[in-house]
Amino acid sequence: MSSAIIFPAQPEQILKGLGKLWTSLGEEEKHQGRPTVLRACAMTLIVATDEPDAGFAASQTISELMHEHPARGIVLAVSKDAENDLQARVLAQCWKPFGKAQQICCEQIEITARPGSWQNAAPTLAGLTAADLPVIFWCRHKGALQKDGSPGDKAALEAISKLATKLVIDTNGMVASDAIELLTKWQGEGKLVADLEWTRLTPWREPLAHLFDNPARENKFANFNYVEVEHREEKPPMQALYLAGWLSAPNKAKVAFKRASGYGSGIQRVSLRSDIEAIEFERTSPDCVTLWSSSGRERKYTFSQPSITALMTEELSVAGFDPAFTAALAQARELSA
Amino acid sequence: MSVLVQPLTEVNPLQDSLRFARRVPPCAIVIFGASGDLSKRKLLPSLYRLFYERRISQNFAVIGSSRTPMSDDQFRERMKESVSKFLEDAPFDEDIWKSFAQCLFYVPGDLSEEASYDKLRDKLDAVEKSHQTGGNVLFYLSTQPSYYAEAIKKLGAHNLQKGNGWRRVIIEKPFGHDLASARKLNEEIHQVLDESDVYRIDHYLGKETVQNILAFRFGNGIFEPLWNRRYVDNVQITAAESIGVEGRGGYYQEAGALRDMIQNHLSQVMATVAMEPPTVFDAANVRDERAKLLRAVRVVKPDDVAKYAVGGQYGPANVGGQNLLGFRQEPSVTADAQTDTYAAVTFFIDNWRWADVPFYIRTGKRMPKRVTDIAIQFHAPPLGLFSQETKGGLREARPNLLVLRIQPEEGISLRFLSKSPGSGMRVRPVSMDFNYGSSFGERTPTAYETLLVDAMAGDATLYTRQDMVDASWQIVQPILDVWGNTKFNFPNYAAGTWGPQASDEMLARQGHVWRVP
Repeated sequence: MSSAIIFPAQPEQILKGLGKLWTSLGEEEKHQGRPTVLRACAMTLIVATDEPDAGFAASQTISELMHEHPARGIVLAVSKDAENDLQARVLAQCWKPFGKAQQICCEQIEITARPGSWQNAAPTLAGLTAADLPVIFWCRHKGALQKDGSPGDKAALEAISKLATKLVIDTNGMVASDAIELLTKWQGEGKLVADLEWTRLTPWREPLAHLFDNPARENKFANFNYVEVEHREEKPPMQALYLAGWLSAPNKAKVAFKRASGYGSGIQRVSLRSDIEAIEFERTSPDCVTLWSSSGRERKYTFSQPSITALMTEELSVAGFDPAFTAALAQARELSA
Repeated sequence: MSVLVQPLTEVNPLQDSLRFARRVPPCAIVIFGASGDLSKRKLLPSLYRLFYERRISQNFAVIGSSRTPMSDDQFRERMKESVSKFLEDAPFDEDIWKSFAQCLFYVPGDLSEEASYDKLRDKLDAVEKSHQTGGNVLFYLSTQPSYYAEAIKKLGAHNLQKGNGWRRVIIEKPFGHDLASARKLNEEIHQVLDESDVYRIDHYLGKETVQNILAFRFGNGIFEPLWNRRYVDNVQITAAESIGVEGRGGYYQEAGALRDMIQNHLSQVMATVAMEPPTVFDAANVRDERAKLLRAVRVVKPDDVAKYAVGGQYGPANVGGQNLLGFRQEPSVTADAQTDTYAAVTFFIDNWRWADVPFYIRTGKRMPKRVTDIAIQFHAPPLGLFSQETKGGLREARPNLLVLRIQPEEGISLRFLSKSPGSGMRVRPVSMDFNYGSSFGERTPTAYETLLVDAMAGDATLYTRQDMVDASWQIVQPILDVWGNTKFNFPNYAAGTWGPQASDEMLARQGHVWRVP
């Protein structure tokens, strides 16, 4: 269910559109005589994108995220094909949990902007955030994240980021030094930041961490003084820098990167070495990773590249300061220098 | 309940509590009765699921034990069948199973034979070395209750209650058949084990929504000030099942609804709803408060049992075109069975917070639907200023109702009056609803997953303690005694209804009615 185009994209008009939307959803309840729609909202999630699909993929992801993180979703699609400078429409993302009679509905606002106009979107967005709830800004606008992006794009990014409680970007494919510079700048301004390249590492980090949970383990983590990360890319990608930074920081371990063949993109293997033991965690098939130690233990885990929805689901669960990420970013900065 | 994790002795610099699952120390789990239904349907699927989700330590092993002769490999094969069949809401992965199966072992033996315990010790020593379990052992008694005392006595005789690490024992319900047998069992257990090493499982307390009662009450500032006799008119706890005894007629005939549900699960739920806030949120303090509450429940006098407790038994009926058997027609049930398949009890809690507020608890089989919830009915405002739209044209006496739904639609709803649109000041009750499943879309762990992790982590908050068991038997024992000497005119309610009329009359005497969940 969606509204007609709202132009100009004034917050008042958009909110009125949302009001009408809920009234029409409530009509169904009147006919059925019982609650059929549950309105849910735990945050405002703003997604800015310059992808050529005019925000379709971002909308799709938001609709999937709603199941775990109900939000007022706002997709800001920047496209040269946009009809007007800034226009909007509102819609409800509804789903019915399996076996339940009641639909859960979240509201979504789609704003399209011409490239020269999206820097004017911030005042509109400021009027649309849900009261008293966190505002998450997920920037998928690649142009704005580039070091040599246009001043207009940079200004828009800056203005919208001021509204946000937390900024999320994906540095996959970015030049590592540019990515680190951008993230460090935001952190310096006191913003909460997140990088989906770091989120992609959770399936690697968690089994490695668990290995050292056992107090009975004789060879302690403090004895591991060498970290090696193998990756597919020509230069160490952000993922590799983060993983090496996270593993090397506690012991100031020596770090090496290697280019390797393997499965898919990104990290293929990570090795930890002490004087008496080597631990290897590597992709051993397209859908499996194996963790083994020279002491003889081995364990297999399923592996699949997490979807963007899965990554955002995890990231939206981390509401506040993320000390592990902050420390890894600081160490990654040193490693990339 | 991650806040209650016992800290491991060493800090792991790689831990990331924001993103990683809760840490559980290395251990071996010994399951007595490993070829039984509970192991196959609940325990092994839960352990596999925890392994799949990487929630248990890499240094972990399961040793199954029962009388059935089997090798390790045969046990693994059997458990694979069970896990793939009974795994709830989760995928079965062949590669992960292979890793999991390497942690499964089997020791055949009879609990009454000394040699079984020697073999068990040998196996525990072996896995302590091969799997680096640190000497930690969790024994799970998934056997007939009549074996509990003997198994624990023999664990003690073979010094298996001590070792290089901790030793804990999980005991399934029922804890005794009545107050006297429960006390005797506790005495026998304490001859071998310290109370802090005994984990009496009540899977109801492991349900996410029961745990959420604590979060709801003590994590919010706005409800607790209303949580007392000044604002609450009555509390109704309902645990209804639409099914009958489903082939367990023989067992159920001996147990009955009061013993099977109210003595354990529902009295613990009542204690969770009504207890005082603990000073610290840890196992000892939370359980102290639950026990204190149960001790404050008024023990009904034998002469008053008929006034405050109603037993019922379902008769045959046609429901939705299907002919349903009455309890006495069920297989393995005698034709003159006096078993209560329905029980409703009015409890009063004699403390400052709850004096004179009735807590109505009912449970039954073959009721119109499966539902468990807790309804807190608040007093009406002192003056009824507004006329209200109701079906019968009557004024809603007490509009404010808070319902904590345990299953199946887990959540919380608050009913209040709102103005109807249009001119004039007409009001109608509306409901503000929080749906647990849709607000947190993550898969909810099963009660057994939660409780197994808690036991491994040494967190006994959701387990019942000796004094809690004792207190809950004390409040139902007079009713059991009177009912045991009464010849009931059963059946007294038809399958597919909300129970006997006497139950409605019990509430009517207090000026209340059962709500329809």
